[in-house]
Amino acid sequence: MVIDKTELPALRYGNPDTKNKGRLRQAMPPAASVARKWGSKLLPPVAAFVIFIGGWELAGGLLGIPAYLLPKPSDIVRAAVENAGNLGVSVFTTLSEAIIGFLFSIVFGVLGAVLLASSKTVEKAVFPYAIVLQTIPIVAIAPIIVIWVGAGANAIVIISFLIGFFPMLSNTLIGLNSTDTNLKNLFFLYNASKFQTMWKLRLPAALPYIVAGLKISCTLAVIGAIVGEYIAGIGGGKGGLGYAITVAATRLQTPYLFACGLSASIMGIGFYLIVNYFSRAMLSSWHESEMRTR
Amino acid sequence: MLAEQATALVNMEQLEKVYPNGTIAVRGVDLEAGAGEFICFVGPSGCGKSTIFKMIAGLEQPTGGQLEIFGNSPHEARKQNEIAFVFQEHTLLPWSTVEANVMLPLALRKVPKPERREAAHRALRLVGLSDYVKALPRELSGGMKMRVSIARALVSRPKLLLMDEPFGALDEITRQTLQQELLNIWRQEEGMTVLFITHNVFEAVYLSTRVVVMTPRPGKVSAVVDIPVPFPRDDTFRTSPEFGHYVGLVSQALKH
Ligand SMILES: Nc1ncnc2c1ncn2[C@@H]1O[C@H](COP(=O)(O)OP(=O)(O)OP(=O)(O)O)[C@@H](O)[C@H]1O
Ligand SMILES: [Mg+2]
Repeated sequence: MVIDKTELPALRYGNPDTKNKGRLRQAMPPAASVARKWGSKLLPPVAAFVIFIGGWELAGGLLGIPAYLLPKPSDIVRAAVENAGNLGVSVFTTLSEAIIGFLFSIVFGVLGAVLLASSKTVEKAVFPYAIVLQTIPIVAIAPIIVIWVGAGANAIVIISFLIGFFPMLSNTLIGLNSTDTNLKNLFFLYNASKFQTMWKLRLPAALPYIVAGLKISCTLAVIGAIVGEYIAGIGGGKGGLGYAITVAATRLQTPYLFACGLSASIMGIGFYLIVNYFSRAMLSSWHESEMRTR
Repeated sequence: MLAEQATALVNMEQLEKVYPNGTIAVRGVDLEAGAGEFICFVGPSGCGKSTIFKMIAGLEQPTGGQLEIFGNSPHEARKQNEIAFVFQEHTLLPWSTVEANVMLPLALRKVPKPERREAAHRALRLVGLSDYVKALPRELSGGMKMRVSIARALVSRPKLLLMDEPFGALDEITRQTLQQELLNIWRQEEGMTVLFITHNVFEAVYLSTRVVVMTPRPGKVSAVVDIPVPFPRDDTFRTSPEFGHYVGLVSQALKH
């Protein structure tokens, strides 16, 4: 019965702050070397960026390429600043559509997967389709949505939702079906109900898959919102980035077009990074989720 | 005879399992396990040891013969919540604390929380892990994870404890420590019957009151060796001539 405590890993369980322990364990390097490390890491990409932008600006000026063909970086910045108000409204509009669509795809994707996975027969019938469904080019059927619900925000949100929904559904479903057999047997032996097995075993075990789905869906939701705006227009509301891009393109306002495209890219990347951050936080608390609720 | 019938916890008669693919996992197994016994199953890989356990636990259905647990069908017996299972892998929920993992069987039965916690702490005390209540499985060593698994099995105070190669993945020193702990626990939990699968003849002789020797193709019981050595047993037993004698008996039975 005697356990040699010295052989066991150090105890820190009284301490709720277990998350940072990995970081705490490392000795802090001196500030100067941190700065040097960051410098050596940041310098090359920053330098490349400056050279690229500078070269573009110079080439544009020297070669005299007209702004409606290829605007110089300064033209793009001027266009963005001059239309800052409109651009802001467009970004906000698209972002809200993407977020709403994304939230819907999470809720319906996870719920749908749970429902499908709850019945062996339904699951067997539907599972192959769920795998295939995530590759459907939703964009191809988007005009149908417009016919059904009319142009404008509703159609855009639905398109954004649909495009993110299937990856969410199939990822969750795959996750729910990949539960460890031993753990499933264990729940069976302890007479767990279907609901208990779902809630206490299959869903938490599927979390890494759900997170993978989130990352795919969030990117797609932004694309869905912009494409939705191409197809569904504004329908009386304020136009988003997709709409602004079509308008700028038809009017040959190329610098503003570039500014819109740039904003869309930054928005997409930002959205992904935020979702990525939350996913990571969720996964690291994945192991601790029980501790929190008790 | 009648008295023996009353105390039989597990009763197998001509038990047979043929898997759908035609593999005859076990055939013609007769065995009776009484209350408070510690029975080890030894035999080469593929002789159907795990299959017998799965049938007892209700994870597989027998294809022939009789199998009664507590005088009932395996299905009925499982509903009584008096069978516990320890797998070779620790099978802990990675996202749950040690405490929550140990409480799981009781939580699934909706036992009130204070009771649950008390039972979990008692079980963790038995395996010497009282200090690790809030730890997560990934923070534990292999031996400690196995201890948690055993605590989880003990938490509902089962009448029948099934252990399928629980110490197979552990080093020899940890293995011996856990063998000793398991024996202590078994003696403390009066009337608990342990069925224990191992490949290790020494482990079988050290632990059991009886060793069931199985041979493959098709899996069957080739001998049952009684080990009438009184408990408590300790390391002096491991080096005694008696120990060698029984190891020899079991090894010989294995060669048939
Ligand atoms: N689900 C299954 N379907 C078909 N055959 C199976 C199945 N499970 C086990 N078997 C076969 O039944 C026989 C007995 O298997 P079992 O797992 O009971 O052996 P074991 O004695 O536990 O072996 P080990 O010591 O390697 O764990 C083996 O030949 C195995 O291939
Ligand atoms: Mg086995």
